[in-house]
Amino acid sequence: MKNKRTLWALAAVLAMGFAAAEKVHIMWSGAITGPTSDAGKYYAQGIEDYCNYINDTGYVAGVEFVCEVRDDQYNNANTLRNFEEAVDRGDPIFLGYSTGGTLQLKPLIQEVGLPFIPASYHIGNIDPPDNDYIFLPIPSYSEQVIAILEYIAKTTPGAKVAMVVHPSPFGRAPVEDAKKAAAELGITIVEVQEASKNLDNTATLKRFENKGVQYIVYQNVAGPVATMIKDAQRLGLNIKHAGAHYAGGPDLLRLAGPAAEGFLWVTSYYMPDEDNDGARFVKELGAKYGRPADTIESVHYPSGMLAAAVAIEAIKEAKDAGKKISPETVYEALLKIDWPNKLAVGPVTYSKDDHVGVDMLRVLEAKDGRFVPITEPFSSQLFRKVHYGK
Amino acid sequence: MSYFLQLLVSGIVVGSIYALAALGFVLIYKASRVINFAHGHFIAIGAFTAYALAVDFGVNIWIAALVVLVFTAIVAYFTERVFLKPLVGQPIISVIMVTIGLASVFGGLIHLTPYGSGNFSLPAFLPEGGVTFWGISVSYPQLLAVLFTAVFLVAFAWFFQRSTIGIAMRAVADDQMASMSLGVSVEKVFALAWAAAGITAAASGLIVGAISGLNLEGLVGIGLKVFPVVILGGLDSIPGAVVGGIIIGILENLAAGYLDAYIPGGGTGDVFPFLVLLLVLWFKPHGLFGTEEIERV
Repeated sequence: MKNKRTLWALAAVLAMGFAAAEKVHIMWSGAITGPTSDAGKYYAQGIEDYCNYINDTGYVAGVEFVCEVRDDQYNNANTLRNFEEAVDRGDPIFLGYSTGGTLQLKPLIQEVGLPFIPASYHIGNIDPPDNDYIFLPIPSYSEQVIAILEYIAKTTPGAKVAMVVHPSPFGRAPVEDAKKAAAELGITIVEVQEASKNLDNTATLKRFENKGVQYIVYQNVAGPVATMIKDAQRLGLNIKHAGAHYAGGPDLLRLAGPAAEGFLWVTSYYMPDEDNDGARFVKELGAKYGRPADTIESVHYPSGMLAAAVAIEAIKEAKDAGKKISPETVYEALLKIDWPNKLAVGPVTYSKDDHVGVDMLRVLEAKDGRFVPITEPFSSQLFRKVHYGK
Repeated sequence: MSYFLQLLVSGIVVGSIYALAALGFVLIYKASRVINFAHGHFIAIGAFTAYALAVDFGVNIWIAALVVLVFTAIVAYFTERVFLKPLVGQPIISVIMVTIGLASVFGGLIHLTPYGSGNFSLPAFLPEGGVTFWGISVSYPQLLAVLFTAVFLVAFAWFFQRSTIGIAMRAVADDQMASMSLGVSVEKVFALAWAAAGITAAASGLIVGAISGLNLEGLVGIGLKVFPVVILGGLDSIPGAVVGGIIIGILENLAAGYLDAYIPGGGTGDVFPFLVLLLVLWFKPHGLFGTEEIERV
């Protein structure tokens, strides 16, 4: 009888505890189906798993996170609908996805003052106007491409470079900054080609060869890049290939096979086969939540985790400061955040003038079927010079 | 000169892939006057089924390819039986709307499988690299596309000229009512046209998968790329699909090779064929080989 009472009392206490837990909604709107869903699928899984991990470990006392991943099919109208729903519900932060969706939402984000973390690293997201509430998790595409150009200039002084970019704002994002940086570095960007899903790139590649191109730098997704580097290998061209975050990664290795050897890639995330806490954490989380190998190996999985982690850290900061969790308090917390995360190669820091979380990135090279870092983490001063004039 | 020849040859092989994809589209239109908006999804079904068999079930890729040709034909056959057959005799716009609906349903069903999102690579079933002659390089998957297109072209030419069913198909395409009155089973003809279209769709899915990997959007996109091909060649002409495909392929490559350098951002390869298409349609509204239908009042 006594034991029964104790059990009931315990259950009541637990129930009160659960009842007292504040439910905080974090919505992500991105492409789980449709264009770019090859990245979005893993990004969404990263958000879900990190959120579950936080709830399972009770990381933020008194808060239960409800993370919703919504498939907007890469359709801006759907993104807008999801964003409006989050605003109406009073969500304290929103996780976005595409370049187009983020750029379109900028004025609305500014108007409603809801902190927004996109998966798009377009510099225009955090450039004026309407840029107060948007925060990039890692350096912009512009900085990524300039970092690659710096590496190329160091290893091949005076190199001739062609850029192959996606025919969209996402693809064109780094082009102007890259041209300015190339001029500073003494290398030549001989051509900028927009390319999507060609079955054959012979014409473009032969033209590059005739112009003496030594490197092709891609700002694109992995699929078209794989087709192009396979064509280059078939044509026996002596051209090296390099790309920004979404151009490379394990997806590229899987699609391009041996043709990907030597590909230079810039990202701020760790690779799953590295021996460090970050890589181990990603693998453990993937295993804990039953994710298949392709998810755990994808760079988009930790990318999604980092976006969720930044949001949760800001909410925790606001909570720990004894404030009500709201867009205003989370925004204030984001501006002061200095979190030594283990998902990427540097700490997440924001301020009023700095809306890039992890400032560091690395150049990696495809060797024997995997990407290995060939530089230490660094931040591109040249990017700041050409973009901000600092 | 070798640059020009390389572009020409590349254009022919890429055009062969378009032609292969367009053949199924033309077959269905030729037999039933239906524009099949779900054609790209049949291409995707073929490619992903081959991938599933080869990677997830460990079936030899060549056997998987053969199985897939049959499987996609069966899927297309039953699609016609279940969804299109009840619409025989209905306005053509109703049938077209159903194919748009089918595209949506197939897209949704593929998304329910592990292959709906993501990039996948077929196991290598051809050697790496390709053939090089006179400084011109062609990859093995591209050569296979040319071979497939040639084989299907010859097979269909024989089928429509010599076989009873082929002649029945032509008769149905010409006049459904007259064919029925002569004892031709129109329903059977329609279903067989869909099955044959399924085979060519699967073949093009395998080729595209070998060249650029498997991605739902990319495979369905090939299905859309056949529109300019069949409009140029003539919606109901099988040789037209081949010629149209090759012309589009060559124009794409020559434009990309010679014009892109002068246009900021390039991309003329995607636009130039359409300009030529407009010009051709100005003089030949039914396409290069399409049947001119004259209605006498």
